Amino acid sequence: MLVRFWGTRGSLPVALTAPSVRQKIVGALAAANGMRFDDADAIDRFVDELGFAAGATYGGATPCVELEVQGPSYIICDMGSGLRSFGLDSIRRNAEGHARAYNFFLSHLHWDHIMGFPFFTPAFDPEAQIRIHSAHPDAEQALRRQQEEISFPVPFDWLRADIAFVTMAEGQPIEVDGLVVEAKAQKHSHVSYGYRFTDRDGCITIYSTDSEHKPSDMEDEAAFIDFFRDADLVVCDTMYSLAESVSMKEDWGHSSNIVAIDLCHEAGAKRLALFHHEPTYEDEDIQRMHEESIRYEQLTRERSPLDVICAYDGLEVRI
Amino acid sequence: MDCTLEVGEDAVILKVIGRVDEATWNSFSEGLSGAVRNARDDGLTRLIVDLQQLAYMSSRGLRALTVAKREADEAGVNISLASPNDVMREILAISRYDKLFTVTDTAEAKR
Repeated sequence: MLVRFWGTRGSLPVALTAPSVRQKIVGALAAANGMRFDDADAIDRFVDELGFAAGATYGGATPCVELEVQGPSYIICDMGSGLRSFGLDSIRRNAEGHARAYNFFLSHLHWDHIMGFPFFTPAFDPEAQIRIHSAHPDAEQALRRQQEEISFPVPFDWLRADIAFVTMAEGQPIEVDGLVVEAKAQKHSHVSYGYRFTDRDGCITIYSTDSEHKPSDMEDEAAFIDFFRDADLVVCDTMYSLAESVSMKEDWGHSSNIVAIDLCHEAGAKRLALFHHEPTYEDEDIQRMHEESIRYEQLTRERSPLDVICAYDGLEVRI
Repeated sequence: MDCTLEVGEDAVILKVIGRVDEATWNSFSEGLSGAVRNARDDGLTRLIVDLQQLAYMSSRGLRALTVAKREADEAGVNISLASPNDVMREILAISRYDKLFTVTDTAEAKR
């Protein structure tokens, strides 16, 4: 299984500003002062040594994650603004022979998780088949509503693809192209759903975003530990620090890096991808959160190590 | 994990021994609630959680502290954290709990 991140930011798309780009260039040139590079590989190595925040960016597209599995169709979690890039890339892959079949799984229907669909070019392809899986019975209403004239110039009915909605039920797994998919309700406004994907080889990826784990609900977390059990990769909402999530941002429907690490430790998961980054965070803030998360994992590890990675737009993780 | 309670002249001190994780957070939470009730019933406004002999605390323990803080706020009791080891200091900083609770180097109360 290959997991490809097309959008990793929470709530609102963001972009690097001119001063931010300039700061990265100035920082890199200052670090390179007096150095000579023999070739492009040497420059690449130097950029790697700068650190991720100084030499790259985590990106600013909202949630969209692709799971490349053995089946012929595309598997996509959420339709955030990252969906636009995925859609264009899939057209390139379709031209190389990939089936024009898209299976979406929606965590919930908030704007940042569906805003990419009006810009999803394959929806205009009459030969494309699109299946939108959601445990929300009002998923179709949400997608149609955002393409009403008051919000968008192209109505949903103008889309040419064969589009159908599939309503899932919590605790009742379905099979799509040999991939077993199970939904689990999570605490979030209008409810969100996490998904557990198990492929034919037994590889397990969990997609659990926009999920709050409140101090008053800790007794309920055994169900999440079971849901994350033995996962190869858990993509988890880590938007806030724990202190923020239990104080001024309580009931905002999001979790923290250290709760995610604890759940993964208890579940025996192998790898955690920090996800749904706070839109006000600069790259340096996200990198610091990632470094602190790695340290917390080391400090609290009792059994096998958990590999803590930080999702960014463009990241590919092979399981 | 074990908790022991000590009542001073101006504060209740809850000593936490061992580690607080998924297996022990419930006992820790009960210990905290009991200490808050004890402080309230004795007319004391301070609860010091002495962490000197605590190896570490996961998010379970930290969130138990949040639940206790809510109970303490209602009872007019202030909770502070005392004598954390280096590991616990790091955990308090990473979780930003050092911004929610006063952290002191020693557990000082009149005896």
